Amino acid sequence: MGDWLSQNGLLLGLATLDGLSYAAAVFMVAVGLNLVFGVLRILNIAHGSLYAIGGYAAASLSLFLSSRGLPEWLSLPALVVAAALVGVLLGPVIERLLLRRVEGQEPVLQLLVTFALFMVLEDLQKLVWGVQPVVSDTPVRLLGNVEIPFGADTIPFTAYQLFVLPGIALLTLVGLAWFLRRTLAGRMIVAVTEDREAARAMGIDAAKVTLLTFTAGAALAALGGALASPVASLVPGVGAQTIVLSFAVVATAGLGRVEGAAVTALLIGLGRAFAVYFEPELEVVVPYIIMVLVLLIRPQGLFGTPETRRI
Amino acid sequence: MSVLLSARGLRIAFGGLKAADGIDLDVMEGEFLAIIGPNGAGKTTFINMATGYLRPQAGSITYDGQPILGLKPRRIVKAGIARSFQLPQLFTEHTVLENAALAIAARAGPWAPLAPLLQRRFRAEAEELLDRFGLLPLADRRADALNEGARKLADIAMAVALKPRLLLMDEPTSGVASAEKMAVVETLTRVLRDSRVTAVFVEHDMEVVARFADRVAVWGQGKIMALGPPQQILNDPAVLRDVIGVAPVGDGAGTGKEGAHAAT
Repeated sequence: MGDWLSQNGLLLGLATLDGLSYAAAVFMVAVGLNLVFGVLRILNIAHGSLYAIGGYAAASLSLFLSSRGLPEWLSLPALVVAAALVGVLLGPVIERLLLRRVEGQEPVLQLLVTFALFMVLEDLQKLVWGVQPVVSDTPVRLLGNVEIPFGADTIPFTAYQLFVLPGIALLTLVGLAWFLRRTLAGRMIVAVTEDREAARAMGIDAAKVTLLTFTAGAALAALGGALASPVASLVPGVGAQTIVLSFAVVATAGLGRVEGAAVTALLIGLGRAFAVYFEPELEVVVPYIIMVLVLLIRPQGLFGTPETRRI
Repeated sequence: MSVLLSARGLRIAFGGLKAADGIDLDVMEGEFLAIIGPNGAGKTTFINMATGYLRPQAGSITYDGQPILGLKPRRIVKAGIARSFQLPQLFTEHTVLENAALAIAARAGPWAPLAPLLQRRFRAEAEELLDRFGLLPLADRRADALNEGARKLADIAMAVALKPRLLLMDEPTSGVASAEKMAVVETLTRVLRDSRVTAVFVEHDMEVVARFADRVAVWGQGKIMALGPPQQILNDPAVLRDVIGVAPVGDGAGTGKEGAHAAT
């Protein structure tokens, strides 16, 4: 064991750091998916497309800024601006025109509708951004590398992945938990999630709450994509990968708590990163192995509570 | 006394079951009207129709002279009609105080996204409301940690927070231990009379009806079979046989088929 550690310690450190930054992006997507499912009771397969579009939009905006010779530091706020734009432009349209119409209907129909939307958005991406990988690593280059002391060695790691990605995810986690627990609007979202009928009987505008929540969820997915865009090149299919992984996170965490999504994203992000470094052929299955193991022991998920409400 | 809510010719059927088959019913301003009848008769259906949850197949309902059929539940709340459900609809993730504040805030209308739930004006009003219901000592408990009597009261307090002129209650004492029942009814009567709320309530416990109601409507086979003051209705041999015989006093556990209608 000691031998193994001294030989592989560096890899272990790298895997942990990689896992952390990966988990940060996955968390953003999964927490949005969780919020949206809570108020709409629709599993939105197209949620992953919003991640991809957020990434593409951020890359495009960053490339546009540098083509105009604007200062490079603008590429950092551009990530957030691009994500917000995607959320605000696409969120309300999708919710109003599509999802609202299938609310409360057969789950099969809902899945088909969001799957169709996913296919349409996927082709739309190819139409707009083509099939060649799109890369814009300005934010990463801008912030440079950090040498992390690790025993006798140092691990070089990008400051972007070390600070910006986990930092924004942490900010989102704390901010969202505070918002949902302490503010009026947040409590109304929780109320609609818990019991839509009772919320309506109280005069809460459930339709408005749903629209705003969906828009926020879409923006979070887009932010996940935007934040990942400087460290991973964007190719067709990235949306599908993301949605499947976020499903795994949401199913493993169970519905409800924001913190649950964070811990689970961390678990799955680290699990995947360790696989990449030590058993690369297991990379794709590790998240699902974790999911299956958790669900075998706790069918309601790590942080979910069993449904006891009447149907 | 003027008519506050008026139903004419209401008809609705679920499959072969005629829950309402030509219902005419007037609710007078300021009165407490009890609706009694066997389980599955359509009493909850009436509340659902009057609050926008269910559309009758025929007939009309006017409130304060205005037609309200086709309005969304939220619009009807704004118009002044609140309701409570057979099962308390408290938000279990919230404390009792937060539940009350949420109802007050919902009535207050447009809300700033980052405004705190327990800001001063909501907190003060919520505490005052809970105090009227005798619930202030329980304000910081989570809603799912209350006993059934307190839960029922808190649930109705949330409906009262909406400042309704008319409150429709679905079995306000069902599930409450009989020792507690009368205390719950006393509190309800006092608060509703103080705030001049007109009340319609579905009830199975005839003791509660006798104590609480100004008038009693007997709902059976989709029709209003009898209507009048409690001492008259509750001593009517036909009512005793058809209604009270079927649903004896104290049968308030509330597994009624109407609940199933409300949910489907």
